[in-house]
Amino acid sequence: MAVDQGAGSKLPGLLVSLGKNESTKTLLKVIILAIIAAAAVASRLFSVIRFESIIHEFDPWFNFRATKYLVANGFYQFWDWFDDRTWHPLGRVTGGTLYPGLMVTSGVIYHLLRFLTVPVDIRNICVLLAPAFSGLTAYAAYLLTNEMTTSSSAGLLAAAFMGITPGYISRSVAGSYDNEAIAIFLLVFTFYLWIKALKLGSMLWGALCALFYGYMVASWGGYAFITCLVPLHAFVLICMGRFSMRLYVAYTTWYALGTLASMQIPFVGFLPVRTSEHMPALGIFGFLQLVAFLEYVRSAVPSRQFQTFLYVGLGGIFGVGLLGLVGLTAGGYIAPWSGRFYSLWDTGYAKIHIPIIASVSEHQPTAWPAFFFDLNLLIWLFPAGVYMCFQRLEDEHVFIIVYALFGSYFAGVMVRLMLTLTPVVCVAAAIAASQLLDTYLQYKSPEVVESKEEESTDGTAKKASKQGSLRSASQPVVGIYNVLSKAFIAGAMTLFLLIFVQHCTWVTSNAYSSPSVVLASRMPDGSQHIIDDYREAYQWLRQNTKEDAKIMSWWDYGYQIGGMADRPTLVDNNTWNNTHIATVGKAMSSREEVAYPIMRQHEVDYVLVVFGGLLGYSGDDINKFLWMVRIAEGIWPDEVKERDFFTPRGEYKVDADASETMKNSLMYKMSYHNYATLFPPGQAQDRVRGARLPDQSPVLNSLEEAYTSENWIIRIYKVKDLDNVGRDHAAAASFERGHKKKKAIKKRGPRVLRAE
Amino acid sequence: MKFTAVAAACLSLLSTAYTHSTSTSKVVLPSTFKPPQTFKNANLVHIISLEKNYVKENINVLIENVSEGPQDEYFLPFTNEQMEKIGGFEVKDRKNSDVVGFGVDAVEFDPLSDVQFYRIKLPAPLASGSQQTIGISFYYLNALKALPASIDQTDKQYLIHSFSAYCPSAYPTLKQKTEVKLPSSDVPDYTKVAGNEDTKEFPVKQGSKLTYGPFPEVPAGASLPAKVRYEFNKPVTHVSQLERDIEVSHWGGNVAFEERYTLFHYGANLSSQFSRVKWAQSQYFSPQTFALKEMKFVLGAGSKDAYFTDVIGNVSTSRFRTNKREAVLELKPRYPVFGGWKYPFTIGWNADSNNYLKKSGDKYLLNIPLIEGPKQEEGVEYEHVDVRVFLPEGAENVKFYTSAPGSSITEHSVDIVRTYLDTVGRTVLTIKARNLVDELRDRELLVSYEYSTAAALRKPFVIFSSTMAVFVGIWLLSKLDVSFSTK
Repeated sequence: MAVDQGAGSKLPGLLVSLGKNESTKTLLKVIILAIIAAAAVASRLFSVIRFESIIHEFDPWFNFRATKYLVANGFYQFWDWFDDRTWHPLGRVTGGTLYPGLMVTSGVIYHLLRFLTVPVDIRNICVLLAPAFSGLTAYAAYLLTNEMTTSSSAGLLAAAFMGITPGYISRSVAGSYDNEAIAIFLLVFTFYLWIKALKLGSMLWGALCALFYGYMVASWGGYAFITCLVPLHAFVLICMGRFSMRLYVAYTTWYALGTLASMQIPFVGFLPVRTSEHMPALGIFGFLQLVAFLEYVRSAVPSRQFQTFLYVGLGGIFGVGLLGLVGLTAGGYIAPWSGRFYSLWDTGYAKIHIPIIASVSEHQPTAWPAFFFDLNLLIWLFPAGVYMCFQRLEDEHVFIIVYALFGSYFAGVMVRLMLTLTPVVCVAAAIAASQLLDTYLQYKSPEVVESKEEESTDGTAKKASKQGSLRSASQPVVGIYNVLSKAFIAGAMTLFLLIFVQHCTWVTSNAYSSPSVVLASRMPDGSQHIIDDYREAYQWLRQNTKEDAKIMSWWDYGYQIGGMADRPTLVDNNTWNNTHIATVGKAMSSREEVAYPIMRQHEVDYVLVVFGGLLGYSGDDINKFLWMVRIAEGIWPDEVKERDFFTPRGEYKVDADASETMKNSLMYKMSYHNYATLFPPGQAQDRVRGARLPDQSPVLNSLEEAYTSENWIIRIYKVKDLDNVGRDHAAAASFERGHKKKKAIKKRGPRVLRAE
Repeated sequence: MKFTAVAAACLSLLSTAYTHSTSTSKVVLPSTFKPPQTFKNANLVHIISLEKNYVKENINVLIENVSEGPQDEYFLPFTNEQMEKIGGFEVKDRKNSDVVGFGVDAVEFDPLSDVQFYRIKLPAPLASGSQQTIGISFYYLNALKALPASIDQTDKQYLIHSFSAYCPSAYPTLKQKTEVKLPSSDVPDYTKVAGNEDTKEFPVKQGSKLTYGPFPEVPAGASLPAKVRYEFNKPVTHVSQLERDIEVSHWGGNVAFEERYTLFHYGANLSSQFSRVKWAQSQYFSPQTFALKEMKFVLGAGSKDAYFTDVIGNVSTSRFRTNKREAVLELKPRYPVFGGWKYPFTIGWNADSNNYLKKSGDKYLLNIPLIEGPKQEEGVEYEHVDVRVFLPEGAENVKFYTSAPGSSITEHSVDIVRTYLDTVGRTVLTIKARNLVDELRDRELLVSYEYSTAAALRKPFVIFSSTMAVFVGIWLLSKLDVSFSTK
């Protein structure tokens, strides 16, 4: 970025003299791209340098575990993998329910390095995969932008933007080993290949596009974005009267091969012909055939007849097609839109119908500052770039416009879809920025206006006639004469770009580089203190419990327990079975007497809860508790009621005022068990919720505390076995505590002498 | 100059050390074997040290040849169970430290017999009727049991050890005494036996020491079972497997160490589940506990880049302090390790090869400690130790010598391993040892090998030429015209 900038502004003379030579230019570009890639990789390494080479967050732990399985057992075993260590006792057909692209990519890299006798640990490959691919993404953005404009600086700027923009870094720092790590590269590259195929009308490029589309399908569920955007682009082009054989060849090649490729993935299977999300692509495929046929007819029959033919034929076929679609959907052959899809249109949908989707923070609508936070100056360059596209408006520019519109909409609906918007923002912003820089950085003032104008009118006129487009034939010549205004604008732009770099670095460093498995805090002397409770507890589980001890926890921690503690779990982040999750939610939110049979039925050995009260760690289970209640209520509305967990005044409280249901719930008891004994009497405090707790800790009868991590973040409880003499746990525990069985004695009545 | 002399001396030593590619320290004898009654023990002092978490035994015995001719084979009996646990068997001459070359071998005759033997081969046969004082020392691993086996987190741990008040011997013993050294004077139970002459009852307890005897003559094979139960409120650390890799890099001028421990606590289990509240309080008020909470590794001076990881990544609770004289790695496990718990971990560090590697011509001599485990007050025992020395690619003529007890080394071999862009693979010396304890930390391992300049240049050459080949290949490919003919 900085280098590119420097080359542009500080050494214009040198650049001009160097720029003359084509091979020097190429060399410069290669060097600049290499530096951009290096910057992209380097800016993602904050977490590795600050902490260590570690897999972040939740989903990456599953991907990492799956990769290890793939490397250890080979591809076919992986394909057939039935995992009985998750979703106990159901298990999960993991091989058929995941996108294998990420794991296979790492596996291939691993075996390649092994072949070259470089013994790199699979963990390091997984950690560094996302940064490595971000370098490739920068290159793909360069290629895509080069298709849009003739200015070579635009491509380089786009590459630089793509490399360091926080919107993309948020999902691709070292250690965030998630599908998006490679998917964004594939997304941008597939779009590049699509534009290339469209421009050239080439089957080869169309097939390449399909190939990378297939790879994308294998990698990320977000492939549907391509599946919808490409047909939309084609549709818009046809509506603009821009149907051409190039479009026909490119689209049909891509669709036929791409759909076949996507159907090879077991998780996708027949979805491309059976679900509504994929129908636009199929519809446009048919529509294109129709349009091509019409084109043929038009060349064969007189124009008046053709018009009637057009209206009747087109209308008829469209109607039949739509009716057919509706009929098939109603008949159940085509699945209607899924809930996750509806939530894209109605942001309130998930909250009402699918609490499990709404409970994920990244499925929330985006707050507007997030756009500025993630894209900074690009967000105001972006509309300018889109405007530039309108000015030229060739087929590829239409693509950018369509992409920009849809990307913006989706990014506004769901936080995580900011990711799909980022590439087009980078491309459009780079077009705008390069236009600005190209105009103001001309070292020489434009010479004679007339001659230039003539020349340019000639050029544009030729172009215009070739395209046959609607826009005005002449373009005003632009050129700046005043050195001062040149220096001012160039200087301001340089400043903005520098601020952008600074902002990106700051955001990356502060917001996106925390592994979330490890928490960092500062000691009084400024040195870093690492709070490592998660791994402490997971390691304890891994080493000191039996190999197949089942762990019950809320689903957020399922992948981490599977990955780090290597123990079977009841539910995990895959969330494929809502009822099973609701069962765990019910156990957590019910009284012990209700929860214990549930835990016995599911052979639970240990229960793990996350408690942040001591440290003030807000992402703990009590704060997530209401979601458990809601999800459980969705299945058992009679047994679990959200209202019961609030105080009569409608407050969510954990202190002495908490509702009885709350106090008796398993989650509450496990979180606060023995907690008050840490404090002097009357001073027990929950630092997350700022609540003063009663001195009497909740009493647990059917569970016993097995392990609590150093800062109390993780608490693990062992589920007691059935009592030896058949008492219930409450009675047994009260006996252990030395309470006499007073009631029983009373019931026995007065003693009588034996009469016989 | 001085160095070459030392190196030459060491090399000559090495050439005699191990010539076979694999060796065993076992003697096979017929199954009806009985030790010939050729010796008697004129005086014997048996010292059992229980100060650490393993048992160390010293037998100082004055042996006398009672047979007709000169004898050089002295047998020492053990039970089958003891044979599994014994380690670090060494014999010295107590009177004259110049006498070296005692051979020690386990005798293999009848695996079902309850009595097994170690054979001590004296350096020179003992003439008929003459005497020699020998000191035999060995360790028992995993011989201590906690009693009670489960205690509360804040309780004190007591261990129990069973032994024989008469020192086991294959020969009659005229006079003997058994001393038991304990870590503290808190000894609630110990076996009492009837005394003689001036002492009414054995043992005599002096502070933390119990003395049984002196006893009058006892016949061969006599035993007097005894037990002692004593306070040992420290971890019973047992490393079931230590894999120690040492990688020598000539180009980097570096020796890299990595050690993988599979560590157990063999002491008392917790009678109830672990309580964080109690732990935090006991840490504050009475830090002495039987849980393992800290380890201290004293590494060679000049060590750097130390790391401490386990299977799920870096463990942040470690400190590494270096100065000119020492390098200390202090580490805390992720959780306090109580009895019955397990904590496997990995540590590693780098060191300048100048500190360990000497060169004369094409010959090199590597001098490293055989083991470098934690330096713990309570001791550490190692059941299996695998030491692998990765020498540079192309190193030849590998020989080694170690000052550790020969009977502890069970196996050794020289193989080839391909790693880090190797073409022919690097030479790896593997040494497997059993039943070591941390008192053997200072025992060294000397490895000599030959490494030519041509071998050193192989890798740069291979990398350079293969990179060139790739470039040339790409260039040739770019010259190919694969487009359709436009005619």
